Amino acid sequence: MTSIDVKDLTKEYGGTRAVDRLTCTVAPGRVTGFLGPNGAGKSTTMRLVLGLDRPTSGTATVGGRPYASLGEPLRTVGALLDAQAAHGSRTARDHLRFLAVGNRLPARRVDEVLDETGLAAVARRRIRTFSLGMRQRLGIATALLGDPPVLMLDEPANGLDPEGIVWIRHLLRRLAGEGRTVLVSSHLMNETAAFADHLVVLGRGRLLADLPTRDFIDQHSRPRVRVRAADPTRLRATLLAKGFAVAGDGDGRWVVEGARAEQVGAVAAREGIAVLELGDERASLEQAYLALTADQAEFAAAASASPVSSTLPQEA
Amino acid sequence: MSVTAVLHSEWIKIRSVRASFGSLLAVFAATLAITLLVYATVGRAEADNGGDAVFGAFYAINFAQIAAIAFGATAVSCEYTGGALRISLSAVPRRGLFYAAKTAVVASAALAVGLVTAFTTFLVGQAFLGPYAIGLGEPGALRACVGAGIYLTLMALLAAGLTFLLRSAVAVLSLLIPFILIASFVAGDVAGNAAAWFPDRAGQQVLYQHPPGGPGPWTGLAVTALWAAAALLAGLRAVHRRDA
Repeated sequence: MTSIDVKDLTKEYGGTRAVDRLTCTVAPGRVTGFLGPNGAGKSTTMRLVLGLDRPTSGTATVGGRPYASLGEPLRTVGALLDAQAAHGSRTARDHLRFLAVGNRLPARRVDEVLDETGLAAVARRRIRTFSLGMRQRLGIATALLGDPPVLMLDEPANGLDPEGIVWIRHLLRRLAGEGRTVLVSSHLMNETAAFADHLVVLGRGRLLADLPTRDFIDQHSRPRVRVRAADPTRLRATLLAKGFAVAGDGDGRWVVEGARAEQVGAVAAREGIAVLELGDERASLEQAYLALTADQAEFAAAASASPVSSTLPQEA
Repeated sequence: MSVTAVLHSEWIKIRSVRASFGSLLAVFAATLAITLLVYATVGRAEADNGGDAVFGAFYAINFAQIAAIAFGATAVSCEYTGGALRISLSAVPRRGLFYAAKTAVVASAALAVGLVTAFTTFLVGQAFLGPYAIGLGEPGALRACVGAGIYLTLMALLAAGLTFLLRSAVAVLSLLIPFILIASFVAGDVAGNAAAWFPDRAGQQVLYQHPPGGPGPWTGLAVTALWAAAALLAGLRAVHRRDA
């Protein structure tokens, strides 16, 4: 079991805290979404885990060991930090080859990940001729190269076309299904909801939430049911009598705030009202996220006024 | 981590970037081209102008050193375009090992090409000189050939160390090349004896049959080696201390 453990991690750049006493554990077997607006400290945290930046204080370990102490680390952790980082003058194949050789990975892995990411046909082209989406695929190929139990991907869907986004979603689900630890950062909330089982939410370097995606949405959004019945008037009267707030959606359905489908269904069944349509309205992750940050009014106001996001180096 | 594997990986990196592999080949190609041009045309006319016979055979090394500096600088600077260094250090997180491997590969490649270049320019150039030709048996000639190869290696390492420090080939090239082409001569006239201890002047002592004052041939090379070592140490310190 290889997890990423971050304890009391703090990183300051010239007096600005990019990461502020962050503690969390990213567990294997599920996709963990790493959420937060630009400048929240997601990329910095990933660089700290990889030992690329030195923490001001605190520790970050992978499987209980600091990254720098891992022998042939690509076999343990695959990371995509910045798809633009690959040198444009190399071919995709050479880029993967020098990484594979240095970590004594078998040469066939290079061809395998090129195939897996759909780059086999352009393997001998220089990276500078690649589109953003192709570079992104190469970055993912790089992360997969060592067949690692831990994957850490910073905005992997960036620049991918719709087909690519579906592909990465399936890939992430599959990797987690194989028991790997998968940490995926994003500032796109709804995109993340499509593949993340668990969420770690950052705001200005601090931990705002660390919980399952479903709980996150439940906690930060009010439930709501949309229902269409054969006898809408009677259903409305009954629901109002039971204390539910009922409003029309202008389309012949009732919207019941603060209720769940099973409650409304039970009421209708007891009254013998035929229900034609009944469904929970899941609040989107985006709404839940905005609700969370709105709770932190100080955060929302300060984030727009403070220079934090503009002075953070290399924060994407 | 396997040291051999990391060395091999660094060699693939140099091979696969046009700028660095191209400058490595240019050390040989440019020198050979200049040798052919110069010695085939004005070689005999210049041969008896009273200069140092051995030093006269290494005119083309002036061009080789520019290419060697470009090689050292570009072999390192490809780590500083975009975030390439982050990818490299994710694969080899021990920075000392990463640094040593890159330096060793730059040194070996420069030494191999440098030695071949030095012997080639000497032998090819002399082939045009007819009665004025000297052979490897000439006192100081063999020393100069081996010394020229080492000199080119040290200049490449000087550039590599400075590039780790300054993170830009452009910065290093615009510092070192004008220094070698102009400053060294201008300052040489002003500074007198001190100029003989500049990295280029000191190292080139080994190219003479009779070094014209300053440190001797091997001491001169040692002085250049100290310059290169200082640059490499400064580069190592920077790589260790900086966030990647």
